[in-house]
Amino acid sequence: MNAGGATAVDQVVFWVLAVLTTFFAGFTITRRNPVTAVMSLVATFFCLAGIYASLSAHFLAVIQVLVYAGAIMVLFIFVIMILNREEVAPFSIRPLRVLGVLGGVYLLTKLVDVVGVGLPEAAPGVTPDGFGTVAAIGEVLFRDFLFPFEAISVLLLVAIVGGVVVSRSHQKEVAAVEAADYRHQIEELAHHDYPGEPEAPTPGHH
Amino acid sequence: MPTTYYIVLSFVLFLIGTAGVLVRRNALIALMGIELQLNGGNLAMLAFSRELGDLKGHVFAFFIIALAAAEAAVGLAILVALFRGRQTVNLDEATLLKR
Repeated sequence: MNAGGATAVDQVVFWVLAVLTTFFAGFTITRRNPVTAVMSLVATFFCLAGIYASLSAHFLAVIQVLVYAGAIMVLFIFVIMILNREEVAPFSIRPLRVLGVLGGVYLLTKLVDVVGVGLPEAAPGVTPDGFGTVAAIGEVLFRDFLFPFEAISVLLLVAIVGGVVVSRSHQKEVAAVEAADYRHQIEELAHHDYPGEPEAPTPGHH
Repeated sequence: MPTTYYIVLSFVLFLIGTAGVLVRRNALIALMGIELQLNGGNLAMLAFSRELGDLKGHVFAFFIIALAAAEAAVGLAILVALFRGRQTVNLDEATLLKR
């Protein structure tokens, strides 16, 4: 296929990264072992970061590696460590779902048709100077999107609190309540007379 | 490279993610499918952003990454809570709201 203004190097880089991305994505959802799946997900994200860089989105490429391959993957690994369970039957394929997949494939061919018609074959011309750099994105982010940016920070805070509250263990709380109850009983016993002692020698002591 | 190729790749990525969410029983891998879907969306954003020479797509992709981080944190917390309650991460067994 003639790819318009793209150089040979561009094409090779794109095809290698695209094939690797697709391969690792498919590998991710077909693995039985969750750790293998996470590792191939990391590989997918690294290849995607390369594709972002080829779209001259350098800042987003760096963020992709930092947030996805760094933070989110660590989270996944930790959760796998907590709940490492063997699966009996990893795939749940039912007749209705097969029908859904067929419908999805049909829709995909239609979408590829539409996209193939609607966009020019040639690569877009030169991007503006400094396109995709931190400075350029920062200017748009803090000038036109300041409110959504602040809203995202609130969202992250809520997600942190929600994550802690939802995943918290309630066993410790129950244990703490029981311990307090027990302590209370002991204190009450200490205020009363020793059970073995007769009432007479300590009259009026209450 | 023409934008079309990037869009087709983003479709493929989204489709693989959707297949993972629909077909897999392991909730962890279903969450990974959701991450793949979000990345497919991101790729389309960036491709169109370059096509139009407009940086707004980059800003939205940035927001989507932040959103994905929040989603992963809450989703995995729910998984841990599910595992505590039912001793399973099998999505077919998490039917508490069905009855």
